[in-house]
Amino acid sequence: MAGAFTYAPAIAALPFVSFLVALFLGDRMPKGGALAGIAATAGSLLLSAWVALTVAGGATYNQTLYTFIEGIDTFELTLGILIDPLTALMLLIVSLIAFLVHVFSLGYMNDEGETGLPRYYAGLGLFTFSMLSFVYASNILMAFMFFELVGLCSFLLIGFWFREAAPPSAAKKAFLVTRFGDYFFLVGVVGIFATFGTGAFAGAESFPAIAEQALNGEAEVTTFFGMDPQTWFTVLGLLVLGGVMGKSAQFPLHTWLPDAMEGPTPVSALIHAATMVAAGVYLVARMYGFYALSPTALAIIALVGGFTALFAATMGVVKQELKQVLAYSTISQYGYMMLALGAGGYVAAVFHLTTHAMFKALLFLGAGSVIIAMHHNENMWDMGGLKDRMPVTYWTFLSGSLALAGIVPFAGFWSKDEVLFEALIHGLGSDGGLGTVLLAAYAMGLLSVFFTGFYTFRMVFLTFHGKPRTETARKPHGVGWNVKFPLAVLGVLAATIGFLNMVPLEKLTGIHLSFLHDWLAHGGIEMTTSETYGTLLHDVAGVTAHYPLGELGTTLASAAVSLGLALAGVGTAWSLYNVDEPTEHTDKLGSLKTVLMHNYYQDEYQVWLATGVTYPLARAADKFDQGVVDGVVNGVSSVSLFGGGRMRRLQSGVVSNYATLITTALVVLLVAFGLIGGWF
Amino acid sequence: MMPAEYYLVLSAAVFCIGLFGILTRENALIFLMSVELMLNAANINLVAFSAQYGNLTGQVFSLFTMGLAAAEVAIGIGIILVLYRNFSDVNVTDATTMRW
Repeated sequence: MAGAFTYAPAIAALPFVSFLVALFLGDRMPKGGALAGIAATAGSLLLSAWVALTVAGGATYNQTLYTFIEGIDTFELTLGILIDPLTALMLLIVSLIAFLVHVFSLGYMNDEGETGLPRYYAGLGLFTFSMLSFVYASNILMAFMFFELVGLCSFLLIGFWFREAAPPSAAKKAFLVTRFGDYFFLVGVVGIFATFGTGAFAGAESFPAIAEQALNGEAEVTTFFGMDPQTWFTVLGLLVLGGVMGKSAQFPLHTWLPDAMEGPTPVSALIHAATMVAAGVYLVARMYGFYALSPTALAIIALVGGFTALFAATMGVVKQELKQVLAYSTISQYGYMMLALGAGGYVAAVFHLTTHAMFKALLFLGAGSVIIAMHHNENMWDMGGLKDRMPVTYWTFLSGSLALAGIVPFAGFWSKDEVLFEALIHGLGSDGGLGTVLLAAYAMGLLSVFFTGFYTFRMVFLTFHGKPRTETARKPHGVGWNVKFPLAVLGVLAATIGFLNMVPLEKLTGIHLSFLHDWLAHGGIEMTTSETYGTLLHDVAGVTAHYPLGELGTTLASAAVSLGLALAGVGTAWSLYNVDEPTEHTDKLGSLKTVLMHNYYQDEYQVWLATGVTYPLARAADKFDQGVVDGVVNGVSSVSLFGGGRMRRLQSGVVSNYATLITTALVVLLVAFGLIGGWF
Repeated sequence: MMPAEYYLVLSAAVFCIGLFGILTRENALIFLMSVELMLNAANINLVAFSAQYGNLTGQVFSLFTMGLAAAEVAIGIGIILVLYRNFSDVNVTDATTMRW
């Protein structure tokens, strides 16, 4: 039984080896180290599949592998592996996408004659290693360490073309913005260790388990600032959420993701769409037992998610560059996942994470294929009519787009519908503020379904339909098998992976079709199953479901509404842009378009915050430090300096003076002892 | 047998002469001789008490002191030679370069 788990460390170690190989031997290898990366990720994929099969047999694994700081009478810092159904699923997703992206890179980087390939493949290898390690991290400190490492890889790969002006700047921005969120995460990690004395995610001794016992009065925890446990847990949850919002590009820390598109397109597909950005959402899912204890944290997660979904979708409507549209759609889709988590839809969130990883990686790779064909011109207004010239790319891209827009029966429909359904029933059923917030978030999520359908198909029609608008679009550069193969695999998956979990169809027909629910519900480790989460949500956070039209009626109505809105969005795009010579209809938005093109002035206000507020504040602090703090220290030391300068004059260098001093001192001592001792 | 006080007075007198030499003279050779005087004042004490108590330890120690004094003179003469080579004089107040 333990066979697969014995080899589990190799899942992450293989890409690490490929990182070393590409880094040190890449120059001397054919394809610049790509083959090592492909072999390593293929190995990881096979091992992940083996692990998933073992987990399907009911086995789980939660083991500490290495203790790097052993505390006496206090906590220990360890590295370990936790494998439960959620981990197994995520390992499969990450290693599959990493493998396909490595293959795609052969076409995008090697065939295009890029230089610096060993650096590129080393970056991909290190990223895959870090991401896989993050996925099966058994405690929050290890998760934090690899969370930072994936951020570093993201920085390195966005800035891959460092000789141009934009990529290094975008890399810096991505690094700084996510670091801002990670700062809160770090404080949260320290807080969790200080409160619970452990950072373990799963098991009876894990921090979610202790937190639950503390709320029931069965365990004692250390809280700070005189807060009661409930409030303090909310504070801890929100601190960790800071890192989540940075990494998963949630408002207001989303500004780095569109700029991150300066990196090579396979990197955008792997890191900035399918996997690294998912790390934030995955982290919330990983410690969901903790969040389920705090209705306030849930409400904030749902609100942030719902708002981000709508906010990013509206910006996607006016963008002109293919990858920019996809970037905003990524932000928007992660908003949905956060909405699902906040609304108590743990399975829905994981489901959407899975389907999104497939169809968004597909769309980015498809965009990469179009970019190769268009000689690295990304402006959709220079494309058009590519449908007949690149059929494989077109059909797979269409599959991904239908999934993104949420058209039945493609993957996105099932997952997005479930997200919205969970938000609706829990919004209607929960009492007080949580219910209201969930309903508001639901409304925003629902509205963005329309925008999603619209911008997705605006993109499809502008890129592939109509007449070619430039010479390049008339004679596009062909793409090879290494581009078509990943597209085909993901195209099929984007169409079919939704069948994992067809809840509306199950309710309608009575046939058992919700396989993902079963998958996440089982597992032998305490505090990691969706059943436990459901109980916690209901008993502690007060999340309750309410079906206004009966269970079947509500399910179908919800599905119909979201499908109808998606179709309306697609239809609008169809009527406006599916013509031979499309014009920019968004110009009719007038000044609103200016606001949208400037991304709601988010960058401007954040730059203003930095230069207008933080910088003067830092200058004032510097003045205080240099003047007052250093002044006191220098003042004290100047007294010693002056005293020392006077005292050294005793040191004349003349031997006779020393002898005189010694003799005088001896005589004085003798007289003094004599007086005290009473000799005289 | 003479009482020990006489020896002690003699020893104190010799010691004071040595001390006086060190405090007032500048010639390094005189310094060396003054140090010898002070060491021998101590020797007188050792021998006097040894005689008074009939214990040979004091006399043995005075032999050690003489050996020590001989070694000290050897080093001292060496220092004085270096002093002379560097300052063309054996005046101890000239050598003031080894300070701050």
